[in-house]
Amino acid sequence: MSELKFIEGYPEYMYKLIEIVHETRTARMKEPPKAMTLEEREEVLKIHPDYAPGGKREIKVGPNKGEIAPNEVVDLLEAYPVIDPDEIDLEKVDYEPDVLIIGGGLAGTTAALWANNMGVPVENILLTTKLRHGDSNSIMAQGGTQAADRPEDSPVIHFLDTIGGGHFANKFDVVRALVEDAPYIIQWLTELGAMFDRDENGNFVELAGGGASRRRMHAAGDYTGLEELRVIRDEFRNRKIPCLEFYPAIELLTDVEGRVVGAVLWNMETGEYKIVKAKVTILATGGFGRLHIRGFPTTNHYGATCDGVVIAYRAGAKLRDMDTAQYHPTGAAYPQQIIGLLLTEKLRGAGAQVVNIDGEAFVYPLEPRDVEAAAIIRECYIRNKGVTTPTGIRGVWLDTPMIDLIHGEGTIKKSFPGMVRMYKRFGIDITKNPVLVFPTLHYQNGGVETDPNGRTNLEGLLVAGEVSGGVHGKNRLMGNSTLDCLVFGRRAGITAAEYVKKGVTVGKPTLNHVKKYIKQLEEAGITTKRKSPILLPDYRGKAVLARMIDIF
Amino acid sequence: MIKIPYYPGCTLKTTAKNFETSAIESAKILGVELIELPKWNCCGTVFSMTTDDLMHHLAPIRNLIRVQEMNEKGIVKNEYRVVTLCTMCFNTLKRSNLFVKQDPERLKKINSLMDEEKDYQGNVKVLHFLEILKELGFEQIRKKVKKPLQNLKVVPYYGCLMVRPEDVGIDKPENPTILKELFEALGAEVVDIPFKTRCCGSYQTVNRKELVAELVFDILNQVRMEGGECVGLSCPLCAFNLDNRQDEVKKLHPEFSMVPVFYFTQLMAVAFGLNEKICGFELNHINPKPLLEKKGLLNV
Amino acid sequence: MGETLDIMERIRESNKSVTTGLDEKDIKHWVTIYIMGKAYRVPADLTLMQAIEFAGYRFIRGAGCRAGFCGACATVYRKEGDYKLRTAMACQTRVEDGMYLVQIPFAPAEKPSYDISKEEASLSVVFKYFPEIARCVSCNTCTKACPQDLEVMDCVQAILRGDFKFAAENSFECIQCGLCAMRCPAEIVHYHLFQLVRRIHGKYNLPPEPNLKKRIEEIKEGKYNEEFERILKLSLEELKEMYRKREIKLD
Repeated sequence: MSELKFIEGYPEYMYKLIEIVHETRTARMKEPPKAMTLEEREEVLKIHPDYAPGGKREIKVGPNKGEIAPNEVVDLLEAYPVIDPDEIDLEKVDYEPDVLIIGGGLAGTTAALWANNMGVPVENILLTTKLRHGDSNSIMAQGGTQAADRPEDSPVIHFLDTIGGGHFANKFDVVRALVEDAPYIIQWLTELGAMFDRDENGNFVELAGGGASRRRMHAAGDYTGLEELRVIRDEFRNRKIPCLEFYPAIELLTDVEGRVVGAVLWNMETGEYKIVKAKVTILATGGFGRLHIRGFPTTNHYGATCDGVVIAYRAGAKLRDMDTAQYHPTGAAYPQQIIGLLLTEKLRGAGAQVVNIDGEAFVYPLEPRDVEAAAIIRECYIRNKGVTTPTGIRGVWLDTPMIDLIHGEGTIKKSFPGMVRMYKRFGIDITKNPVLVFPTLHYQNGGVETDPNGRTNLEGLLVAGEVSGGVHGKNRLMGNSTLDCLVFGRRAGITAAEYVKKGVTVGKPTLNHVKKYIKQLEEAGITTKRKSPILLPDYRGKAVLARMIDIF
Repeated sequence: MIKIPYYPGCTLKTTAKNFETSAIESAKILGVELIELPKWNCCGTVFSMTTDDLMHHLAPIRNLIRVQEMNEKGIVKNEYRVVTLCTMCFNTLKRSNLFVKQDPERLKKINSLMDEEKDYQGNVKVLHFLEILKELGFEQIRKKVKKPLQNLKVVPYYGCLMVRPEDVGIDKPENPTILKELFEALGAEVVDIPFKTRCCGSYQTVNRKELVAELVFDILNQVRMEGGECVGLSCPLCAFNLDNRQDEVKKLHPEFSMVPVFYFTQLMAVAFGLNEKICGFELNHINPKPLLEKKGLLNV
Repeated sequence: MGETLDIMERIRESNKSVTTGLDEKDIKHWVTIYIMGKAYRVPADLTLMQAIEFAGYRFIRGAGCRAGFCGACATVYRKEGDYKLRTAMACQTRVEDGMYLVQIPFAPAEKPSYDISKEEASLSVVFKYFPEIARCVSCNTCTKACPQDLEVMDCVQAILRGDFKFAAENSFECIQCGLCAMRCPAEIVHYHLFQLVRRIHGKYNLPPEPNLKKRIEEIKEGKYNEEFERILKLSLEELKEMYRKREIKLD
C-alpha cells in the first residue's frame, strides 16, 4: 500500500479538494444559502437516522409498553438486571441521607447545592457518581447557555424558539419554567464567580444557536460546560457535601407502596454493593451516546450508557419522547483519532458555512439540528457530494476560516481555543483550512418524564438534566441543555428540600419492582442474556476478547 | 579511655587511609578511642556544597532571556542592558549573570536545563538605575531640577548589596559616593555617615526584629548625630528595616526621634517638580510630608 | 425505503472502528508501545486511549470525556532512546513507536474550603488558602508538564504580583488534570489555586450586567404572565403559525 503524503495535516487528495473551498468562499459569502420551509424540512428529515426506518422497535414491557424507541435503548429496557434481587441484603443500610443524588454532572451538582441552600444540612445530602465527580456530558458542553436577557428578547420568544425546535412536542409548562428561570440562573453562576465572555464594555457576548431567533447564548470560550461545572463543583467541595465516586446506581429501591426510597450502589473498583435509603432521590444520570445508536459515533463521555432511564423504568417511571435521539450535525469526521467529537454549533453561529465537495453551501447553516444533520447525510449518501476520508468515512466541509474573515483576525483563536487546540494536536490549523464533519450521536432528547419542579410519576423520585423528558420535545436547541441541567437541577434540589422539610416517612426498601419486572420480561417472552444497566461501553480489541479468560 | 564518636569522610577510607590509621593509633596512646559512626554518608562537600548549583539560577537567568526576547520582538532595538531599581533584584540578577558567563560549561548546562526557552547568549548587562543616571551625567540631572532640595539635609544609605561583592557593586565598596553626587545635583545638602554601607539586618527582620532594631538604631542614631534630617536609599528591604522598624527602635530607645526615609527616586520626583501623588508618600511608614512642607518642597 | 436502510448500514459500517473494538484484519500499519513496561503491538493510527483498549484494557479510571476536556486520562511517557519525561492526554495523542507510558488518573491534593462571598479580591486571601505559592522557584516544571500548553508558571507568578486578570485569563483552559501539581518541587497545587483566583476574578472584577438584572426583575414582577397565559391557550395550529411568523433578529 502506498504511503499517503500529508499537507497541513490532510492527505494530498483532500488538500486539493480544500482548494475548491478556498476558491468558492467569496461567492458563497456574498450569496449565503436560504433557510428551508417547514415542508422542505419535513422532506429532508426522511433520511434522518431517527426517521429512517429500521432503527426502532416497540417496547414490550413497562409503563411505555407499545411505544417506539431506538433498538439499542429497547435492548436495555428489555434486559435482565445485573443483580439477583434475592441475593441483595437490604437489611444492612449503609447510608441514610435525606437526599440522594445519582449523577455528578451539572444537574446533579446544582441540585446538591440548592438542596443545601434551601436548608438541607450537608451531612444529609449524598451525591453518588459512576466515574469522577464532574465526569459527564456537561463538562464537554462547548457552545453556551441560553437566557433571554437582552432588551429585544423575552422569555416568550425563547419559549417559542424552544417548542418550535422541539416539534411542539415539549411540555409547555416545563418549557415556561426553563425560560423564565434562565436569566436568574446566569446571575447565580456569575455570583459564584463563573467567567462568561464579555466585550470591551462588560456586556455578555451572546451568539445565536440553530433554531434561535435571537442572540441569547452566554458562553465561556468554547469551554462553557467546563467553566460552569468547575465553578459549582468547587462550591460543592467547599461545602464538603458528601460525594461517592466510582459508585454508580445499578438499581433503585422502592417500598411496598411503590415509592422510590433509595438505590443500590456498586463500587466499580472493588465490586462491593452499598444500600442507600433516602427520603428523596434525584436522578441526574445524563445521556446515552455510548450506545452508538444506529452505529453512529458519539460526542458523549465514556459513561453515557442510559443507566438512569433503565433503573427508573424498572421502578415504574414513565418515559417521554424516548423515540428520538439528537444527532449533532457537526461531529469531526477527520482525522481518524477524533471521529465523532463535537464541533460546537457556535462555529456556524459565528458564520462558518457547510460546504460540499464542489464548494457549494448546500444548506442554511443554522437549521435546527435534526434538519441540519439530515441535510448533511443526504448530501453525502444520496447526492454523493461528500468527501471520503482514507478510512472510508464520508463528510462535508465546515468552512471555519470564514469566521475570522467575518469577525476579524484572531476571533477563532479567542472564541474557540478548544477547537483550535484539538485540531492542532493532529497537525491541522482550523484558522487556515476547513474541517470535515458528519453527524454524530449527541443528545437524548427525551427520558424520564418531568414536571416543572422535577417531579416524575413516581413518589420519591425527582429528575433533572439530560435524563429527563419533556423539556426539549423531539429535538433540543443549542444552549438549552446546560440551561436544562441548571434550571431543573435547581428546581429538583428545591423540591427535594421541601419534601424533606414537610416530613416524609420512608418505608422499608425492597427490590419488589425488580422482581415484578423480571416476571414481565418472562411473560413477554423475552429470553435474552442481555443485562442492564451496562455502565460502560466495551472497546477492547476483538482479537484480545476472543482469547480472554475471566479468571478472577 | 575517652570514647568519642568519629566521622571519617570518604577520602580517609581510600587515598588518605594513612591519615586515618596514624590518627587512630596515636589517639590510643593518649587515652582517646575514636569510635567510627556505625552509619555515615558523604559530607556532601562535593555535590551538595558546590557552588555549581545551577537550578537556583534558573529564575534570574530566565529573566535575562526575556531581555533577549524584547530585542527579537523589536520592542527595543539592540538594547541588551536591563535596568533595575530594587537593589536585591539588581544584586541577584547581576551575580547570576556573572556566574553563568564566567564559565562556558555553566552557560551550556543552564541552557540545557531550560530547554523550553531559547538559549541565553550571555550578552545581557544588568544595570542599577543609578548607573544609568551616572551615564547621563549628574550635570544633566541638575539642569532638570525645578525645586532644588535646598536646606534638606539628606543622608545617602547604600546598605550591602549595592556595593558588595566587588565585581557586582556599582561603586567603591568602602566609600561609595554615587548617591552623594545625585543628591547634590538635586540641590540637597548631603551628610555622609560612616555607617552608610552598614547592613540593615536584611531578612533577620522576619523573626529577629529586635536585632534589626538595634542595627537600625546604630545607623539612624548616627544620622541624627551628624545632623541629617532624612535618609535616601534604594532597596525596599532596607527601606522596610530603616523605615517601618523605627517603631521597634522607639520601643528599645524611647529617646530616639523618628527619621523619614525616602527612595532616591522620590527625592528626584520632588526636585523635578512632579506632582506629589507620583511619590506615593502614603506607602512611606514615617510620614515625610511634614519635613518637606517645612522646607517648602511639597508639590501638590 | 430500501435505499435509506442501505444508507444507514453503510454509515454503521464506516464507523465500526470507533463504535466497537477494532478487528485486526482491518489494520495495515502497526507500532509497538509499552504499557507500564509491557510491550503491545497496536494499530499506528490510534490515540493512546484507543490503543490501550485495543490491547485489551478496559478503563475504569483514566477515561472520562474522551475529547480532551476533563483531564481524566493524564499520561506520562518517555520515547525510546530519549531521557525526557513527557506528558499527554491519552484521548488526544497519537501513538508513536516506542512510547513507554503510565497513566496518572488521580492527583492527591488538599483543597481548602472557602466561602467566596465572604472573601475579598486581594492577594492576602490567596495567601491565606495557598501559602505555599511563595515557594515557587520559577523552575517552569509545571509549564513543561501541562498537556494544554498553558503558561502555568507565568500564571503563578502573576498571582504573586496580584495580577488576577492575567492568571484568570491564561489559566482558563485548565482541565485540572493534576500533572503540574504532581511534578512541582514546591508542591503547589496549581489547579486549585487557579480555580480560586478565577472565581474571585469572575465575581469581583467583572462588571455586573445591567440587562440581566433588569430582566430578572421583570420576570419576578410577572411582566410576561399575560403573554404566556395567552399563548398557552392557543391551538397547536395557531402556535405553529406564530412560530413560522416569528421575527428573526440575529444582528
